[in-house]
Amino acid sequence: MSVLDDLFRRVPALLMARRNLSRNRIRSGLAVLGIIIGVLAIASLGMFGTTLRTGASQQLGDIGNEISVSPNFQEGIEELTERDVDEIRRAVTDGAVVPVRSESKLVSRGDRQTVTTVYGMEDPGALYEAEEGRIPDRLRQGALVGSGTAGLLDIEPGNTISVDGRTYRVSAVLAEQGGISLVSPNNAVIVPVEDVNGTGYSQVVVSADSGQAANESAVAIREALNEREERVSVFELQSITAGINEFFGILNAFLIGIGSISLVVAGVSILNVMLMSTIERRQEIGVLRAVGVQRGDVIRMILAEAGLLGVAGGVIGAILAVGAGVALNAFVLNDPLATFQVANLLYIVLAVGFGVGTSVLSGLYPAWKAANERPVEALRK
Amino acid sequence: MNHIIELQRVWKRYDTGGEVVEALRDVDFHADPGEFVAVMGPSGSGKSTMLNVLGLLDTPTEGTVYLDGQDVTDLSDREMTVHRKRFIGFIFQSFHLIPTLSALENVEMPTLFGDDPTARDRATRLLERVGLGERLDHRPDQLSGGQKQRVAIARALINEPRILLADEPTGNLDRKTGRSVLDLFDEIRREDDVAVIAVTHDPQLGDYADRTVELIDGRIQ
Repeated sequence: MSVLDDLFRRVPALLMARRNLSRNRIRSGLAVLGIIIGVLAIASLGMFGTTLRTGASQQLGDIGNEISVSPNFQEGIEELTERDVDEIRRAVTDGAVVPVRSESKLVSRGDRQTVTTVYGMEDPGALYEAEEGRIPDRLRQGALVGSGTAGLLDIEPGNTISVDGRTYRVSAVLAEQGGISLVSPNNAVIVPVEDVNGTGYSQVVVSADSGQAANESAVAIREALNEREERVSVFELQSITAGINEFFGILNAFLIGIGSISLVVAGVSILNVMLMSTIERRQEIGVLRAVGVQRGDVIRMILAEAGLLGVAGGVIGAILAVGAGVALNAFVLNDPLATFQVANLLYIVLAVGFGVGTSVLSGLYPAWKAANERPVEALRK
Repeated sequence: MNHIIELQRVWKRYDTGGEVVEALRDVDFHADPGEFVAVMGPSGSGKSTMLNVLGLLDTPTEGTVYLDGQDVTDLSDREMTVHRKRFIGFIFQSFHLIPTLSALENVEMPTLFGDDPTARDRATRLLERVGLGERLDHRPDQLSGGQKQRVAIARALINEPRILLADEPTGNLDRKTGRSVLDLFDEIRREDDVAVIAVTHDPQLGDYADRTVELIDGRIQ
């Protein structure tokens, strides 16, 4: 005896349901098709949202991990002092603190020249990565050139450039930074901090290991420096990413809402199919009741039919949705495996659950109607 | 009292849009185990209503129904269903087999919803007994009229009932096939001590019955 036969013996409602559905295959097939479309709509729109979100956060990079501390000009503070930097270093437990001075200067190599931002930093390795050459642990001599400036002046590591008349050897060309950055290196030159005029710093960038650590650091810095007066303003990029995440959450809910409408339509078609088939089988159900089948068993049998339609539609819809997700992610993110993540699994489970739920719900009324018909009426020819 | 089923002073009235139809008028009726009773009468005489009341498919407007000595007039739907399953087998004029189920599954059907491990063996033996041992896996549309009625009889017997209720059992069969079905009824009531109550206007049924009751305009004559 096969597993299926065993199941049918244990749950006779399923056997009857399965046989009844095979009676009119086209009708059952169309009802299943409705559920497939609904489940596919919910699951694939949900996954579409996940793909958008993943794509957007790839564009934004890990800016959520950085915070920027700058002097509060409204209070008349124009630069951050060494003491401020020390206090920031004490407040930040987890992450690199990079004080920055900046100025606009004339940069030239050979006969080419351009005016660009020059940052003075002691520890640029905490913020940037090299495309060519290498970034020293402490920048004491030499310069790092952003990819844009390097392209403009045709600079490679080992070249010599002149910044406002002072000569530097280029140790590295920095990798181009996509997305938003607090201190974008792309069109800049980075030199040792002592070489930029001034005693204080125009801003301090803190690069933490995680968004949460960045948030904790921001709180600690505000407490340490702004206790007596508002000396600094702290800018967290995390607030932007949080907003973006919230936006995508709303977008996803909206997309799923649209998908749900198609599932409701599918539910109505199942209601119609089940109602028609129970009316056609009036006499049969009357016979069942006459030979001693209880009302509850009739209800169970018809709900099992509706449930089977839902399960069949849900499973096929889920498989198609995974296929659609793989295609979408391969096209948009160039990474078909991005389909297989927890968020998408949840959407699929949600969609299948909705599909089966809608089907069973649509079976309720026909089941109730069939079970409550008096056998005498049903048997009348 | 050893009547297996008894109707006492049963009335059945239907309200059909302002006009009250009296389908049964003061009917007293009983059947004993092993007895074959034919209920005859013209159409519209209340035969089917009487059979429905006897089969606990319908409740009388007035009067009392006793099943195996117990008053079953005012049972709930659930209790009536339980009693139908335990005491009564139904045979219909148009057989009413489930077209999607095989002969064997049709016979098993009354036992399907409920834990009954020996049902399949009983169903097989019953089909062998009615001469359909070779047709266990045939669907109803692959069987002749007489074979369908035999499957229906086997289905009626699956729960070892005390009463068989037959509504025009030979109505859709030719004379010869009808006779073989009636022979089967005769055998069942003798061997299994089952009361057979058949509603009919087929006169050949009278040859088989121990007793014939005539019903005209809802009254027993």
